[in-house]
Amino acid sequence: MGLHLRPARMLANLTNKFDSDVFITKDSEEVNGKSIMGIITLAAAKGAILKVTAVGPDAPEAVNAVGKLIENKFGEED
Amino acid sequence: MTMNGISIAEFYEKMKTQLQLTLVAGKNGLGRMIKWPEINRPGLALAGYFDYFPWRRVQILGKVEVTYLRSLSSGVLRARIREMLSKKGVPCIMITRRYRVPQELIEEADGLDVPVFRSPLVTVDLIDRTTVFLDDIFAPTISLKGNLVEVFGVGVFMEGKSGVGKSETALGLLARGHRLITDDVVRIKLREGKYLIGSGSELTRHHLEIRGLGIINIQKLFGAVSFREESQIDLAITLEIWDPNKDYDRLGIEEDTIRILGQPVPHLIIPVRWGRDMVLMLETAALNHRLKASGFNPAQALDEELINSMRRK
Repeated sequence: MGLHLRPARMLANLTNKFDSDVFITKDSEEVNGKSIMGIITLAAAKGAILKVTAVGPDAPEAVNAVGKLIENKFGEED
Repeated sequence: MTMNGISIAEFYEKMKTQLQLTLVAGKNGLGRMIKWPEINRPGLALAGYFDYFPWRRVQILGKVEVTYLRSLSSGVLRARIREMLSKKGVPCIMITRRYRVPQELIEEADGLDVPVFRSPLVTVDLIDRTTVFLDDIFAPTISLKGNLVEVFGVGVFMEGKSGVGKSETALGLLARGHRLITDDVVRIKLREGKYLIGSGSELTRHHLEIRGLGIINIQKLFGAVSFREESQIDLAITLEIWDPNKDYDRLGIEEDTIRILGQPVPHLIIPVRWGRDMVLMLETAALNHRLKASGFNPAQALDEELINSMRRK
Protein backbone atom coordinates (compact mmCIF):
# COMPACT_ATOMS: atom_id res chain seq x y z
CA MET A 1 0.00 0.00 0.00
CA GLY A 2 2.99 2.27 0.57
CA LEU A 3 4.66 4.10 3.43
CA HIS A 4 1.70 4.68 5.67
CA LEU A 5 1.92 5.07 9.43
CA ARG A 6 2.83 1.55 10.54
CA PRO A 7 5.63 0.97 7.99
CA ALA A 8 6.85 4.52 8.65
CA ARG A 9 7.14 3.61 12.29
CA MET A 10 9.13 0.46 11.44
CA LEU A 11 11.45 2.50 9.29
CA ALA A 12 11.96 5.20 11.94
CA ASN A 13 12.51 2.66 14.71
CA LEU A 14 15.18 1.03 12.56
CA THR A 15 17.01 4.23 11.56
CA ASN A 16 17.01 5.47 15.17
CA LYS A 17 19.21 2.54 16.11
CA PHE A 18 22.08 4.04 14.09
CA ASP A 19 24.29 6.95 15.07
CA SER A 20 24.38 8.27 11.52
CA ASP A 21 21.83 10.73 10.18
CA VAL A 22 19.59 9.04 7.65
CA PHE A 23 17.73 10.78 4.84
CA ILE A 24 15.03 9.50 2.54
CA THR A 25 14.45 11.19 -0.76
CA LYS A 26 11.53 10.87 -3.12
CA ASP A 27 11.53 12.89 -6.33
CA SER A 28 13.28 16.02 -5.13
CA GLU A 29 11.96 15.94 -1.57
CA GLU A 30 14.36 14.91 1.17
CA VAL A 31 13.20 14.11 4.70
CA ASN A 32 14.73 13.03 7.99
CA GLY A 33 14.66 9.22 7.98
CA LYS A 34 14.43 9.12 11.77
CA SER A 35 11.20 11.09 11.89
CA ILE A 36 7.84 9.39 11.39
CA MET A 37 6.22 12.68 10.53
CA GLY A 38 8.97 13.37 8.01
CA ILE A 39 8.65 9.97 6.36
CA ILE A 40 4.90 10.14 5.89
CA THR A 41 5.18 13.57 4.29
CA LEU A 42 6.58 11.73 1.28
CA ALA A 43 3.25 9.89 0.87
CA ALA A 44 5.25 7.20 -0.92
CA ALA A 45 2.81 4.81 -2.56
CA LYS A 46 3.67 1.24 -3.52
CA GLY A 47 6.15 1.30 -6.40
CA ALA A 48 7.57 4.72 -5.56
CA ILE A 49 11.32 5.09 -5.97
CA LEU A 50 13.18 6.17 -2.81
CA LYS A 51 16.76 7.15 -2.33
CA VAL A 52 18.35 6.40 1.02
CA THR A 53 21.43 8.27 2.15
CA ALA A 54 23.27 8.30 5.42
CA VAL A 55 26.01 10.43 6.92
CA GLY A 56 28.01 9.24 9.91
CA PRO A 57 30.18 6.51 11.40
CA ASP A 58 27.78 3.63 10.58
CA ALA A 59 26.36 5.05 7.35
CA PRO A 60 26.85 1.93 5.15
CA GLU A 61 25.18 -0.31 7.75
CA ALA A 62 22.27 2.09 8.08
CA VAL A 63 21.65 2.22 4.35
CA ASN A 64 21.92 -1.57 4.07
CA ALA A 65 19.50 -2.11 6.92
CA VAL A 66 16.91 0.21 5.36
CA GLY A 67 17.39 -1.56 2.03
CA LYS A 68 16.73 -4.93 3.67
CA LEU A 69 13.59 -3.66 5.38
CA ILE A 70 12.24 -2.43 2.06
CA GLU A 71 13.28 -5.65 0.25
CA ASN A 72 11.45 -7.66 2.88
CA LYS A 73 8.38 -5.51 2.27
CA PHE A 74 8.39 -4.34 5.87
CA GLY A 75 7.93 -7.86 7.23
CA GLU A 76 4.31 -8.74 7.74
CA GLU A 77 3.02 -5.23 7.46
CA ASP A 78 1.90 -3.33 4.35
CA MET B 1 -8.84 -9.75 48.43
CA THR B 2 -12.44 -9.65 49.57
CA MET B 3 -13.13 -8.64 53.14
CA ASN B 4 -14.26 -11.31 55.52
CA GLY B 5 -17.17 -9.21 56.59
CA ILE B 6 -18.18 -6.49 58.94
CA SER B 7 -19.40 -6.74 62.51
CA ILE B 8 -22.89 -5.55 63.41
CA ALA B 9 -21.31 -3.03 65.79
CA GLU B 10 -19.37 -1.47 62.92
CA PHE B 11 -22.36 -1.62 60.59
CA TYR B 12 -24.48 0.11 63.24
CA GLU B 13 -21.81 2.74 63.85
CA LYS B 14 -21.45 3.57 60.16
CA MET B 15 -25.11 3.35 59.10
CA LYS B 16 -26.94 4.52 62.23
CA THR B 17 -27.47 8.02 60.86
CA GLN B 18 -28.17 7.15 57.26
CA LEU B 19 -30.66 4.38 58.08
CA GLN B 20 -31.89 6.13 61.24
CA LEU B 21 -31.43 2.93 63.21
CA THR B 22 -32.44 2.30 66.81
CA LEU B 23 -31.20 -0.83 68.52
CA VAL B 24 -34.24 -2.38 70.22
CA ALA B 25 -32.99 -5.83 71.23
CA GLY B 26 -30.06 -8.23 71.21
CA LYS B 27 -27.37 -5.74 72.17
CA ASN B 28 -25.09 -8.57 73.33
CA GLY B 29 -24.99 -9.81 69.74
CA LEU B 30 -23.26 -6.74 68.26
CA GLY B 31 -20.16 -8.85 67.71
CA ARG B 32 -22.01 -10.95 65.11
CA MET B 33 -20.66 -10.66 61.58
CA ILE B 34 -22.27 -9.82 58.27
CA LYS B 35 -20.44 -12.11 55.87
CA TRP B 36 -22.70 -11.77 52.85
CA PRO B 37 -23.51 -8.64 50.86
CA GLU B 38 -27.16 -9.52 50.16
CA ILE B 39 -30.25 -9.00 52.26
CA ASN B 40 -33.27 -11.27 52.74
CA ARG B 41 -36.95 -10.78 53.53
CA PRO B 42 -37.77 -13.89 55.55
CA GLY B 43 -41.46 -14.21 54.66
CA LEU B 44 -41.36 -17.94 53.96
CA ALA B 45 -39.31 -18.67 57.06
CA LEU B 46 -41.79 -16.84 59.23
CA ALA B 47 -44.51 -18.95 57.62
CA GLY B 48 -42.63 -22.03 58.81
CA TYR B 49 -40.69 -22.99 55.67
CA PHE B 50 -37.00 -23.07 56.60
CA ASP B 51 -35.48 -25.12 53.77
CA TYR B 52 -32.78 -23.09 52.06
CA PHE B 53 -33.38 -20.23 54.47
CA PRO B 54 -30.50 -17.81 53.70
CA TRP B 55 -29.50 -17.26 57.32
CA ARG B 56 -26.22 -15.58 56.44
CA ARG B 57 -28.01 -12.51 55.18
CA VAL B 58 -29.28 -9.43 56.96
CA GLN B 59 -32.99 -10.10 57.52
CA ILE B 60 -35.40 -7.27 56.80
CA LEU B 61 -38.98 -7.21 58.04
CA GLY B 62 -41.26 -4.86 56.09
CA LYS B 63 -44.99 -4.36 55.86
CA VAL B 64 -45.78 -7.90 54.64
CA GLU B 65 -43.73 -9.67 57.30
CA VAL B 66 -44.89 -7.50 60.19
CA THR B 67 -48.56 -7.76 59.19
CA TYR B 68 -48.22 -11.50 58.86
CA LEU B 69 -46.57 -11.82 62.27
CA ARG B 70 -49.45 -9.90 63.81
CA SER B 71 -51.90 -12.44 62.44
CA LEU B 72 -50.18 -15.30 64.32
CA SER B 73 -50.96 -16.44 67.85
CA SER B 74 -48.31 -15.51 70.37
CA GLY B 75 -47.14 -19.11 70.76
CA VAL B 76 -46.67 -19.75 67.02
CA LEU B 77 -45.05 -16.35 66.54
CA ARG B 78 -42.54 -17.05 69.29
CA ALA B 79 -41.73 -20.51 67.93
CA ARG B 80 -41.13 -19.26 64.37
CA ILE B 81 -38.96 -16.40 65.52
CA ARG B 82 -36.98 -18.67 67.79
CA GLU B 83 -36.37 -21.11 64.95
CA MET B 84 -35.29 -18.31 62.63
CA LEU B 85 -32.96 -16.70 65.15
CA SER B 86 -31.48 -20.03 66.23
CA LYS B 87 -29.77 -20.45 62.87
CA LYS B 88 -26.29 -19.83 64.15
CA GLY B 89 -25.14 -17.06 61.83
CA VAL B 90 -28.15 -14.77 61.39
CA PRO B 91 -26.41 -11.39 61.49
CA CYS B 92 -29.27 -9.07 62.48
CA ILE B 93 -32.90 -8.12 61.93
CA MET B 94 -34.07 -4.75 60.68
CA ILE B 95 -37.67 -3.60 60.91
CA THR B 96 -38.81 -0.81 58.60
CA ARG B 97 -41.47 1.93 58.69
CA ARG B 98 -41.20 2.46 62.42
CA TYR B 99 -43.34 -0.66 63.04
CA ARG B 100 -43.84 -1.64 66.64
CA VAL B 101 -41.64 -4.65 67.34
CA PRO B 102 -43.56 -7.66 68.69
CA GLN B 103 -42.68 -8.36 72.33
CA GLU B 104 -41.97 -12.00 71.46
CA LEU B 105 -39.31 -10.90 68.96
CA ILE B 106 -37.64 -8.62 71.49
CA GLU B 107 -37.51 -11.38 74.11
CA GLU B 108 -36.23 -14.07 71.76
CA ALA B 109 -33.62 -11.73 70.24
CA ASP B 110 -32.40 -10.75 73.72
CA GLY B 111 -32.27 -14.41 74.71
CA LEU B 112 -30.35 -15.49 71.60
CA ASP B 113 -28.26 -12.30 71.27
CA VAL B 114 -29.41 -11.34 67.79
CA PRO B 115 -29.43 -7.54 67.30
CA VAL B 116 -32.77 -6.08 66.18
CA PHE B 117 -32.94 -2.58 64.69
CA ARG B 118 -35.86 -0.37 63.94
CA SER B 119 -35.89 2.25 61.20
CA PRO B 120 -38.47 4.82 60.04
CA LEU B 121 -37.47 4.27 56.39
CA VAL B 122 -39.77 2.48 53.95
CA THR B 123 -38.57 -1.00 53.05
CA VAL B 124 -37.34 -0.16 49.53
CA ASP B 125 -35.16 2.68 50.82
CA LEU B 126 -33.72 0.62 53.62
CA ILE B 127 -32.89 -2.24 51.26
CA ASP B 128 -31.34 0.10 48.69
CA ARG B 129 -29.10 1.89 51.12
CA THR B 130 -28.07 -1.28 52.92
CA THR B 131 -27.26 -3.02 49.64
CA VAL B 132 -25.17 -0.11 48.35
CA PHE B 133 -23.23 0.00 51.61
CA LEU B 134 -22.65 -3.75 51.76
CA ASP B 135 -21.68 -3.94 48.07
CA ASP B 136 -18.97 -1.43 48.77
CA ILE B 137 -17.76 -3.31 51.86
CA PHE B 138 -17.55 -6.58 49.95
CA ALA B 139 -16.15 -5.16 46.71
CA PRO B 140 -12.80 -6.66 45.63
CA THR B 141 -9.94 -4.33 46.52
CA ILE B 142 -6.23 -4.03 45.91
CA SER B 143 -3.52 -1.58 46.97
CA LEU B 144 -1.05 -0.48 44.32
CA LYS B 145 2.01 1.73 44.55
CA GLY B 146 1.66 4.93 42.59
CA ASN B 147 -0.46 8.00 42.71
CA LEU B 148 -3.87 8.99 41.50
CA VAL B 149 -4.65 12.36 39.98
CA GLU B 150 -7.68 13.76 38.23
CA VAL B 151 -6.67 15.65 35.11
CA PHE B 152 -9.40 17.37 33.10
CA GLY B 153 -11.86 14.96 34.69
CA VAL B 154 -9.83 11.89 33.69
CA GLY B 155 -8.69 9.71 36.59
CA VAL B 156 -5.03 8.90 35.92
CA PHE B 157 -3.20 6.23 37.88
CA MET B 158 0.50 7.06 37.65
CA GLU B 159 3.09 4.42 38.46
CA GLY B 160 6.81 4.06 38.04
CA LYS B 161 10.01 3.46 39.93
CA SER B 162 10.81 5.47 43.01
CA GLY B 163 12.52 8.71 42.06
CA VAL B 164 11.21 8.88 38.50
CA GLY B 165 9.21 12.00 39.34
CA LYS B 166 5.65 10.89 40.10
CA SER B 167 5.16 13.18 43.08
CA GLU B 168 6.80 16.12 41.30
CA THR B 169 4.49 15.58 38.33
CA ALA B 170 1.50 15.41 40.67
CA LEU B 171 2.64 18.66 42.28
CA GLY B 172 2.90 20.34 38.89
CA LEU B 173 -0.61 19.16 38.02
CA LEU B 174 -1.95 20.54 41.30
CA ALA B 175 -0.39 23.91 40.57
CA ARG B 176 -2.26 23.91 37.26
CA GLY B 177 -5.61 23.34 38.96
CA HIS B 178 -5.90 19.56 38.68
CA ARG B 179 -6.61 17.39 41.66
CA LEU B 180 -4.75 14.87 43.74
CA ILE B 181 -6.55 11.87 45.17
CA THR B 182 -3.56 10.11 46.68
CA ASP B 183 0.20 9.92 46.49
CA ASP B 184 2.28 6.78 46.94
CA VAL B 185 -0.42 4.19 47.68
CA VAL B 186 -3.72 3.84 45.84
CA ARG B 187 -6.47 1.70 47.29
CA ILE B 188 -8.55 0.45 44.43
CA LYS B 189 -12.02 -0.97 44.70
CA LEU B 190 -14.04 -2.65 41.98
CA ARG B 191 -17.49 -1.13 42.28
CA GLU B 192 -20.53 -2.78 40.70
CA GLY B 193 -18.19 -5.27 39.10
CA LYS B 194 -16.87 -2.77 36.55
CA TYR B 195 -15.82 0.62 37.91
CA LEU B 196 -12.35 0.96 39.40
CA ILE B 197 -12.46 3.52 42.17
CA GLY B 198 -9.23 4.69 43.78
CA SER B 199 -8.70 6.46 47.06
CA GLY B 200 -5.96 7.08 49.57
CA SER B 201 -5.44 6.59 53.25
CA GLU B 202 -7.26 9.08 55.46
CA LEU B 203 -4.08 9.95 57.29
CA THR B 204 -1.83 10.86 54.38
CA ARG B 205 -4.17 11.93 51.63
CA HIS B 206 -3.53 15.66 51.89
CA HIS B 207 0.20 15.20 51.76
CA LEU B 208 2.91 14.91 49.18
CA GLU B 209 6.52 14.02 49.80
CA ILE B 210 8.82 15.97 47.53
CA ARG B 211 12.53 15.34 47.66
CA GLY B 212 14.31 18.43 48.84
CA LEU B 213 11.14 20.04 50.14
CA GLY B 214 9.96 17.34 52.50
CA ILE B 215 6.33 16.70 53.27
CA ILE B 216 3.94 19.36 52.08
CA ASN B 217 0.25 19.74 52.83
CA ILE B 218 -1.46 20.28 49.51
CA GLN B 219 -4.80 21.25 50.95
CA LYS B 220 -3.21 24.09 52.90
CA LEU B 221 -1.07 25.14 49.94
CA PHE B 222 -3.56 24.85 47.11
CA GLY B 223 -6.94 24.92 48.85
CA ALA B 224 -9.86 22.52 48.98
CA VAL B 225 -10.24 22.47 45.19
CA SER B 226 -6.93 20.63 44.86
CA PHE B 227 -8.21 17.52 46.46
CA ARG B 228 -10.76 14.73 45.93
CA GLU B 229 -11.49 11.79 48.17
CA GLU B 230 -11.84 9.28 45.39
CA SER B 231 -11.90 9.03 41.64
CA GLN B 232 -12.56 6.49 38.96
CA ILE B 233 -9.44 5.16 37.23
CA ASP B 234 -9.70 5.79 33.48
CA LEU B 235 -6.08 5.67 32.39
CA ALA B 236 -2.85 4.13 33.69
CA ILE B 237 0.48 5.80 32.95
CA THR B 238 3.90 4.33 33.65
CA LEU B 239 6.71 6.85 33.93
CA GLU B 240 10.16 5.50 33.27
CA ILE B 241 13.62 6.88 32.65
CA TRP B 242 14.14 7.05 28.90
CA ASP B 243 15.76 3.85 27.66
CA PRO B 244 17.48 4.58 24.33
CA ASN B 245 17.29 0.90 23.35
CA LYS B 246 13.56 0.67 23.78
CA ASP B 247 10.96 1.41 21.10
CA TYR B 248 8.32 3.61 22.67
CA ASP B 249 4.89 3.98 21.20
CA ARG B 250 5.21 6.63 18.54
CA LEU B 251 1.79 6.38 16.95
CA GLY B 252 -0.88 5.50 19.47
CA ILE B 253 -2.90 3.46 16.97
CA GLU B 254 -2.90 0.28 19.01
CA GLU B 255 -4.10 0.58 22.56
CA ASP B 256 -2.12 -1.11 25.30
CA THR B 257 -4.02 -2.08 28.43
CA ILE B 258 -3.17 -3.36 31.87
CA ARG B 259 -5.57 -5.22 34.13
CA ILE B 260 -6.50 -4.04 37.59
CA LEU B 261 -8.80 -6.37 39.53
CA GLY B 262 -9.51 -8.05 36.21
CA GLN B 263 -10.67 -4.87 34.49
CA PRO B 264 -8.78 -3.59 31.44
CA VAL B 265 -7.38 -0.05 31.78
CA PRO B 266 -5.82 1.83 28.83
CA HIS B 267 -2.11 2.13 29.49
CA LEU B 268 0.70 4.39 28.27
CA ILE B 269 4.41 4.24 28.98
CA ILE B 270 5.84 7.76 29.00
CA PRO B 271 9.62 8.05 29.02
CA VAL B 272 11.04 10.77 31.23
CA ARG B 273 13.93 12.79 29.89
CA TRP B 274 15.43 16.15 30.60
CA GLY B 275 13.45 18.76 28.71
CA ARG B 276 10.20 16.85 28.64
CA ASP B 277 7.54 18.70 30.60
CA MET B 278 5.82 15.83 32.41
CA VAL B 279 2.91 17.98 33.56
CA LEU B 280 2.16 18.89 29.97
CA MET B 281 2.60 15.22 28.99
CA LEU B 282 0.03 14.14 31.54
CA GLU B 283 -2.42 16.88 30.56
CA THR B 284 -2.10 15.97 26.90
CA ALA B 285 -2.43 12.25 27.64
CA ALA B 286 -5.64 12.94 29.57
CA LEU B 287 -7.12 15.11 26.80
CA ASN B 288 -6.11 12.57 24.16
CA HIS B 289 -7.75 9.84 26.22
CA ARG B 290 -10.99 11.81 26.21
CA LEU B 291 -10.71 12.32 22.48
CA LYS B 292 -10.15 8.60 21.89
CA ALA B 293 -13.00 7.73 24.24
CA SER B 294 -15.24 9.90 22.09
CA GLY B 295 -14.29 7.71 19.10
CA PHE B 296 -11.57 9.80 17.45
CA ASN B 297 -8.10 8.28 17.15
CA PRO B 298 -5.78 10.95 15.76
CA ALA B 299 -3.19 8.49 14.45
CA GLN B 300 -5.87 6.36 12.79
CA ALA B 301 -7.39 9.43 11.15
CA LEU B 302 -4.01 10.62 9.86
CA ASP B 303 -3.25 7.14 8.52
CA GLU B 304 -6.53 7.07 6.61
CA GLU B 305 -5.84 10.48 5.11
CA LEU B 306 -2.35 9.37 4.14
CA ILE B 307 -3.57 6.18 2.49
CA ASN B 308 -6.19 8.14 0.56
CA SER B 309 -3.61 10.62 -0.68
CA MET B 310 -1.35 7.78 -1.85
CA ARG B 311 -4.26 6.22 -3.74
CA ARG B 312 -4.98 9.45 -5.57
CA LYS B 313 -1.47 9.52 -7.00
